[in-house]
Amino acid sequence: MTPYRSVRDFDWPLILTALLISGIGILQIYSATAGSKFADAWWKQIVFVCAGLVLMWVIASIDYHSLLGQVPLLYLASLAGLVLVLLVGVKIYGARRWLSLGGFYLQVSEFVKLVLILVVARFLTEVRTETLDLGGFFKLSLIVLVPAALVAKEPDLGTALTYLPVLAIGAFLAGLRWKYIVVIGLVVLVVLPAGWYALKDYQKARLITFLNPEADPQGSGYQLIQSRIAVGSGGMWGKGVTQGTQTNLEFLPVPHADFILASFAEEHGFVGVVGVLTLYFVLLMQIVQNAQTATDRAGMYICMGVSAVLLFHIFVNVAMVVGNAPVTGIPLPLMSAGGSNTLSTFLMLGLVNNVRLRRFVN
Amino acid sequence: MWIRTKNQEDKRLLILAGVAALWGAAIVFQLFKLQIWQHHEYLRQAEAQQVQTVEVQAPRGSLFDRNGEPLALSVKVESVFVNPRLVPDLEVAADLLAPTLNLDRKTLFERLSMKIDPGKGKTLRGFVWVKRRVTPEEARQLRSLELDWIGFQSESQRLYPKGELAATVIGGVNHEERGNAGVELKLNEELTGQDGAARVLTDVRGASVETIEVRAPQPGTNLVLSIDERIQFLAERELQAACARTGAHAGTLVIMKPDTGDLLAVASYNREDPASRQNLAVLAPFEPGSVFKVFTIAGALEAGVARPETIFPCGILTMFGRVLHEAKSAYGPMPVTDILVKSSNVGAAQIGLRLGSEKLYESLRKFGFGQKTGVPLPGEETGRLQNARRWNRDTILSIPMGHEVSTTAVQLARAACVIANGGFLVKPRLVLRKQYANGMVETLPPGRLERVLSPERAHELRQMMEAVVLRGTGKAARLKGYTAGGKTGSAQIYDHRIGRYTHTYNASFLGFAPVTKPSVVVVVTLNGTSGGSAGYGGAAAAPVFQTVTQETLRILEVPKDLPEDDSSPSAAEPAEEGPTEEAPVPAVLRAEAHPDPDEALLMAQALSRQAGQVAGPRVPDFQGKSVRAVMEEASALGLPVILNGKGRAFLQVPPAGAVLPPGQSVRVEFAR
Repeated sequence: MTPYRSVRDFDWPLILTALLISGIGILQIYSATAGSKFADAWWKQIVFVCAGLVLMWVIASIDYHSLLGQVPLLYLASLAGLVLVLLVGVKIYGARRWLSLGGFYLQVSEFVKLVLILVVARFLTEVRTETLDLGGFFKLSLIVLVPAALVAKEPDLGTALTYLPVLAIGAFLAGLRWKYIVVIGLVVLVVLPAGWYALKDYQKARLITFLNPEADPQGSGYQLIQSRIAVGSGGMWGKGVTQGTQTNLEFLPVPHADFILASFAEEHGFVGVVGVLTLYFVLLMQIVQNAQTATDRAGMYICMGVSAVLLFHIFVNVAMVVGNAPVTGIPLPLMSAGGSNTLSTFLMLGLVNNVRLRRFVN
Repeated sequence: MWIRTKNQEDKRLLILAGVAALWGAAIVFQLFKLQIWQHHEYLRQAEAQQVQTVEVQAPRGSLFDRNGEPLALSVKVESVFVNPRLVPDLEVAADLLAPTLNLDRKTLFERLSMKIDPGKGKTLRGFVWVKRRVTPEEARQLRSLELDWIGFQSESQRLYPKGELAATVIGGVNHEERGNAGVELKLNEELTGQDGAARVLTDVRGASVETIEVRAPQPGTNLVLSIDERIQFLAERELQAACARTGAHAGTLVIMKPDTGDLLAVASYNREDPASRQNLAVLAPFEPGSVFKVFTIAGALEAGVARPETIFPCGILTMFGRVLHEAKSAYGPMPVTDILVKSSNVGAAQIGLRLGSEKLYESLRKFGFGQKTGVPLPGEETGRLQNARRWNRDTILSIPMGHEVSTTAVQLARAACVIANGGFLVKPRLVLRKQYANGMVETLPPGRLERVLSPERAHELRQMMEAVVLRGTGKAARLKGYTAGGKTGSAQIYDHRIGRYTHTYNASFLGFAPVTKPSVVVVVTLNGTSGGSAGYGGAAAAPVFQTVTQETLRILEVPKDLPEDDSSPSAAEPAEEGPTEEAPVPAVLRAEAHPDPDEALLMAQALSRQAGQVAGPRVPDFQGKSVRAVMEEASALGLPVILNGKGRAFLQVPPAGAVLPPGQSVRVEFAR
């Protein structure tokens, strides 16, 4: 590799946008948890963001081609990690999702996303035909669905679902024929109702609740209703920092994690939310731009994988907060408090910078 | 190859962007819908679950006697509640709370673990009173536990510093501090004040986070009563003693200032129900009997059909198929004065006949009989005085001696005031002043005075009534150092069950003192006295008048109008008149025209007032404390106290540190 690479070559607009969103997130975590038992969440989040920046720099400095070369090993390590979680993971609220590493709970499934982005990128790069054929698609599907199934088993359907956009967008960009897309779409539509029986009871309840939240306002519909009230009562300009009554009076459950945007919407109103969504739009466009300027298909697939995961996270989370999607437990990247998700998001941004740093090299 | 497929990939990227844009647009649309379009609806929902409007109790007005002695006060106390849903372990909670608050652990646990819907639901109640009105010490102990599921609610408690004194006038309040008897009931609206309101911001567990006062509570009006606590105490004590002595099952004692109509004492006693808050002096009309002769004669004098010295035939009267006898002996013709002095039935009937039914009726109406006096006590009765047109042929023989009419003790006292004050009908006054919450004090003037008797006739009547005391049926009413006038009354009680008169009596005495310028009018009634002539008005009621009036005049510091040593007791009088007590009037009434005092007494129901708990705690040192401080401290300890005077406490019985025997009160004297 050329030594001709400097800090200047990082995608600074991307990093600054990410830091801006993280800053807003930390302020909102502070506002939402002031006086509650989560009151220390905001400085923990600062630590995670700083750690994330370091990891981002580390991963950006290893050429992604070397990373792609290690994919089989990474993939096997991921599967082993997920199996380990199922065997000896820490169980919280009935779900076994975390590995305990010296006091720090590691959510392995968050980091498997990165590996899958690399796996898909390598797999599609190695497809030599102009379009992805059906056989290739099935192989790719198998590669993605095995870890997804392991995650769903934890159970963590939300995170398992975030693996699918990597597969879908990758296959789509790799030129999967339209007729196959239609057929696969139809098959999924037929299989989905059958999948109902595979769902856990609480997952079924969440789906029913999403379709009709008033069916059980005190139970599973509670979060959706309270979130909607928080967002709606915020109005155009919001109630002001730390003035969110839904949040501070604890009507909104865990307002610093998955529902942080509801808390933000209550305090900063429509204007604030649209502002934050605009920042996310800038962030995604910056990643897509890196995809377009990548020197090779692998770099393009990596960037598009990252944007697919982030887009899915953002849209599903925001849709949940405003009542357009069921409660899935998918955090809002960069804003929601949480170590594993913050670190994995910065690692993904590191991958994007990795691609960018090597755009003039071949 | 990368370059060649770039076009296709760009196209697909565009499609992806389009899908993402649509999705994003849907989200922004939903945001717009929630935050701008339906904003007000969601704001309402948020407020509905976060903000509660609660009432803030206004302090109830106090009651004072005419000298400023507190008769009823409200003090702030705290009540304890818990939200069982927040309690981590109900067993532990019961273990913790029961000993601190002296509650039974088992019942407390049962109450805490009560379900909202015992049949099916498993949900615990969200609010359970643990103990109402705890002591400051208990509240302090609970606070020191610092448990967030224990809540405190400030409540107001009514205290009666004089205990049972004047209970039939003051009445009482229920658990919500709303009056349920006496002045507390009748003037409840003025005493209550206006509750304030506050908006309470509550969190998801229903715990209040912040309180914003929206409307300040408007305290109730303080009322200064005309009652003199010392005279009321005296009246109650003497009345109760008289009832015990004469066997009467009930009685009343009314003391009034004749010039203003101020009620200095309104005592009411009911032996079957001593704790009753009903005041028989306004709600139990009775047949007055011979005391009524005074008003018959007043009517005749005022109409000019008789003078004090006019002679009427007495002894026996046969008329309208009835034979009217005297009580004792067949008197000969007598002047009007003697008719009153000896309480001649025939004489009174003759005077009535001379006056005529129409004029007698009008005269009695003028004296206020058959009309409410308007005294602010609940359930005041009108008494019975039928219009002359509806009288029977022989009613004119009954009414002059106080039969076929009924009157309350307060009505009788008001009528006596006319004679005592020189001819004016006063309005009985129970409330002297109102102290409004804004500091304004309104002094209520005596009612408009209406002349119903000329001063000369009033003077003559007073002299005639003085004669009753000096040499007639009311000799037992003679005072030391004061002149006094009065009239006795005894009416046999008609028993509806057996359909005839019994040998129990309504003994009464109506009088005033001193004669020249009366300071007080006193009416004593004893219902159901027994023991033959010992139950007559002269023997049973007149001594009560004597004791009470003598002491009242001393309390009021009325100058004596007789030399001390001149007041030889009545026993020293020549016994020429012998037993002059009039006998009860025989049965001349039809049953339905006969108001039954027993029936009125039955109405007297016990309405319990929170009496001070009887316990044996040590008496604290009250020395140097204010009335209110003493009261709050005593109520906190559950000690019944009797407070006297104003200013700072300087004497207490029993002394500090002593254990109060059960059933007794601490007496505290105050001085400036």
